[in-house]
Amino acid sequence: MSTSRQLSESRAIPTRTVLINDTTQLPHDYCTTPGGTLFSTTPGGTRIIYDRKFLLDRRNSPIAQTPPAHLPVIPGVTSQHVLSENRKNEANNHINNHDGKPTTGESDNVELVCLICAVCCS
Amino acid sequence: MNNKFDALKDDDSGDHDQDQGSPKDSEKEKTEDEDKEQNTSKKKMVVPGAGEHPLQYNYTFWYSRRTPGRPASTQSYEQNIKQIGSFASVEQFWRFYSHMIRPGDLTGHSDFHLFKEGIKPMWEDDANKMGGKWIIRLRKGLASRCWENLILAMLGEQFMVGEEICGAVVSVRFQEDIISIWNKTASDQATTARIRDTLRRVLNLPPNTIMEYKTHTDSIKAWEDFHGLVNASGGR
Repeated sequence: MSTSRQLSESRAIPTRTVLINDTTQLPHDYCTTPGGTLFSTTPGGTRIIYDRKFLLDRRNSPIAQTPPAHLPVIPGVTSQHVLSENRKNEANNHINNHDGKPTTGESDNVELVCLICAVCCS
Repeated sequence: MNNKFDALKDDDSGDHDQDQGSPKDSEKEKTEDEDKEQNTSKKKMVVPGAGEHPLQYNYTFWYSRRTPGRPASTQSYEQNIKQIGSFASVEQFWRFYSHMIRPGDLTGHSDFHLFKEGIKPMWEDDANKMGGKWIIRLRKGLASRCWENLILAMLGEQFMVGEEICGAVVSVRFQEDIISIWNKTASDQATTARIRDTLRRVLNLPPNTIMEYKTHTDSIKAWEDFHGLVNASGGR
């Protein structure tokens, strides 16, 4: 075993200053900061991280309701109408029967199958 | 060479009944032309709109479908895979996703691919050449929910493996469905382990679900073996 020591390089904790001019620029969630959540900081920058719930909550924003421009027409694959049915409550109720903890944000429609007991909820 | 790479994707399901390759040279030219067309018609860089939540990367949706039983020579890869569109924000993602059929409702032998912009969902893309994928086989009925959870985790940067993620695929097959996530460096075990752990955490899979890691080169070898092919260096 070597008796020499190596000192690791010391570095200041990376920080980032974001200037905002208006309270409307503050994110709506307490867990985020302007420009992205900071809980995974890498030297040189931060990554933009969203959890599942946050992403699902954006689904119903007005911007997201219209089909994208130039959406290819592929019968049986793409649609000009919004395809979504939210069976959130049904799924949560069923899952509750198992362990009392609803899984968050169930957004399935056609095949709502409980992954614990394989019972179909749809 | 294209033949192997194109048919590679079907190897996921163990469904070796056909080859969707096509003559190499004309194939390449056609693909480039098609790319040019797509580029000129969608020349604008995709950017988040005002008030939208940007993603760490831009992504592109692709769709592919095969008619089983068709001889390889009458089908070219580009006829089978089609870009649906690209997005740069959470809201733009939902615009696409809400106007696309759920995988569980797709018919036939079909795939959705969601890859970072600039990475083609093909082995031969530079980003994929040294890479591999975790594959998870699912019985019927689970694909839609698992695909959604998978792509939300990918878009939300839940995998925490730097630049390694390339994209995700959901494959609808006859009696099962397969989801997979592709990364750049198959030999990076720390990365592949972390991806596996994240998959377990975010997908809520049925107990006893098996996850398998396949390098793309291994998949190609398996394809060659099945088809009794000789590889470029004359082996076998």
